[in-house]
Amino acid sequence: MESLLDFARGPLFRFSFAVMILGLARILFLDLYNAYQAYRRAGDRNIPWGLVIKRSLEWLFPVRRVFHNRPVYSIFSILFHVGLLLVPIFLYAHVRLWKDAVGINWLTLPYEVAYGLTVSTIVFGAALFIGRVISKSSSFLSRKQDYLWPIVLLIPFITGFVCAHLGVGSRLYNTMMLIHVLAGNFIFILIPFTKIAHCVLMPLSQFISTLAWKFPPETDDAICITLNKKGAPV
Amino acid sequence: MKTRKITSEEREKAFKQPRKPEVIEKQKLDVRYHIEDFEVEDRPRRFLEAFAAILKHTNYRLALDHYIRMSAKCSRCATNCQVYQATGDLRDIPCYRSELLLSVYRRHFTLGGMLKGRALGTGHLTDEKIQEMADSFWDCTACRRCAMECPSGIDHGLITHLGRFILSEIGIAPRALVVSTREQLEGATGNTSAIPVPALVDTLEFLEEDMFEEKSVEIKFPMDVEGADYVFFPAVSDFLMEAETLMGIAAVFTATGDSWTTGTGYFDGINYGLFYSDRMLERVVKKVDAETRRLKGKNILIGECGHASRSAKYFIPTYCGGDDAYPVINIMEYTHRVWKEGRLKLDPNVVTEKVAYHDPCNIARQRWIIEKPRELLKAFCKNYVEMTPYGDENICCGGGGGTVSIDEIRPYRTTIGGKLKADQIRKSGCEILVAPCANCKKQLRELVEDQGIDCEVVGLHDLIYKAIIFDESMVEKKEEESVNIEDKE
Ligand code: SF4
Repeated sequence: MESLLDFARGPLFRFSFAVMILGLARILFLDLYNAYQAYRRAGDRNIPWGLVIKRSLEWLFPVRRVFHNRPVYSIFSILFHVGLLLVPIFLYAHVRLWKDAVGINWLTLPYEVAYGLTVSTIVFGAALFIGRVISKSSSFLSRKQDYLWPIVLLIPFITGFVCAHLGVGSRLYNTMMLIHVLAGNFIFILIPFTKIAHCVLMPLSQFISTLAWKFPPETDDAICITLNKKGAPV
Repeated sequence: MKTRKITSEEREKAFKQPRKPEVIEKQKLDVRYHIEDFEVEDRPRRFLEAFAAILKHTNYRLALDHYIRMSAKCSRCATNCQVYQATGDLRDIPCYRSELLLSVYRRHFTLGGMLKGRALGTGHLTDEKIQEMADSFWDCTACRRCAMECPSGIDHGLITHLGRFILSEIGIAPRALVVSTREQLEGATGNTSAIPVPALVDTLEFLEEDMFEEKSVEIKFPMDVEGADYVFFPAVSDFLMEAETLMGIAAVFTATGDSWTTGTGYFDGINYGLFYSDRMLERVVKKVDAETRRLKGKNILIGECGHASRSAKYFIPTYCGGDDAYPVINIMEYTHRVWKEGRLKLDPNVVTEKVAYHDPCNIARQRWIIEKPRELLKAFCKNYVEMTPYGDENICCGGGGGTVSIDEIRPYRTTIGGKLKADQIRKSGCEILVAPCANCKKQLRELVEDQGIDCEVVGLHDLIYKAIIFDESMVEKKEEESVNIEDKE
């Protein structure tokens, strides 16, 4: 078990983390490259930056939006995301691992805050999952990954919580820790290939939706030629 | 703001099939708008070919790639769609509508999708799927209000726009729009309402006489003036149906003395290309540009029309020279400016009714013109009321995206598309509803009629025409002239 854990925490972690970073870098690059191409081809390159930035910030920090529509769902979703982002990055135990491995160090969450955030993430994640199942509109749209993600994401939170806060015996601790690390690695690998890619793409969305309306000129002719419609009546 | 789901009687009315069964059979397509005959064989292959050609020459891949990676399927957009609220049909959720096309893109135009599809032998594009798209994309009013509620920033209106474009390339597009555009681009009259130039000249002369009688001021519609500051392109249907709006605009120019003109070479702001085909969009804006060039005008001035304004404002730069293209302004911007400059006087005692302002989606969604018309109205209407939400969050009239021009779906538009708007109008209690858009006006008039709301729908300049105060010297001119004529006699 110990050696398995070491493997999961060591080489496997490095591998999955690298997959995540490279995968996210790839889609970010592709997105930006597409955007660059589109911008270069566009006939009109005026981007209303003020509006784009305003709308992007409104969704990245969705305070104003919260009470606008579906307030309960929105608050749950926001709190879920807050825990999801803060706990893995700023948990003391995680930061220490980085420090031991590569010598970099950053701020950590106080114990009580980490405790609270872990619990709230689990609770709100479960609530969102239940919401998805019982809401007619959400379940109608949902794919398999939409149901699986909340469950998969909660595994490291629950196991981490058990290990950190419940004072369990060493056997259970090790099992839980192994599940914790494996689930974390699994998530890292999946992130770039699933909807969780929105963690890096989201800030670009408003910009991309705006740029997408900036069409290239002379497309009429080009499309007509490709489709053999040159000279065809309207 | 929410509306209730329609009753089963309303549903029956709204979804009544206006087409003959034999036509549906022949065209193998069960949609509720008329379509000109088109090739029915091999549709999926031709759809994919058209899709591929469009992707090759346009920028749509950018959005599609981004959206297929981002879409979180949260269904939040459902809360903002007036169509879904009214039908309660899950297939009307904006995200589902978009998924119809996104799934085709994923399956046929991404490596992962192609490999998976081939391996499992699934996801082929079928006639049924095309049928569903042909239905769904024309049930949407392309108002883009759902995009405001999408945390992932997906612009479902853009997907509807692209979906319709691809469908049109295989012959599936509402006949009403295609026939009008054909007349505009290839017909003898060169405009969507098929108005011949002599008839236009007659109409305008008639209006000039009318205005002289009413205001005792010589208000003109200058024609073919070279070098004018503003070359005017209203929705051409205004010449037939919105005389008061045009009179208001002419009155404003008379009051300010600025130079403007209507060109007899081309005088139609309507651009149905925005609704069904980027290729047509391009051809039409090029006509606007060419006429402005012919007249050596300085600015393109679009009348009271949302889609005409948006097509010109955003696509003249696209297709006609980028930063060097002619500046495009909407008439409300002009009128607001001259009023601010003190060159336009309005009588605050003429319009006493309760007035509300409706934002056309194509003008307000991107926050282009929101406060200017309101400032104007508040300045001379004693009793202005606001309908909320408004501005970039406005509620569509229900006839957006060209659907208003499809007469055979009027029951759908006034029972479903416009239901939320009808509730909003009722709630405001307005007696006059100002809608600076030919499409919105037509739809809103049909809406208030079908929904039994007692409210008059007018353009902004209709009210300005009523309230405008001319300089004394202008009014006297008529009397002096008539005296002079008498003297001569
Ligand atoms: S564009 Fe308007 S009508 Fe179409 S799905 Fe979105 S909100 Fe509904």
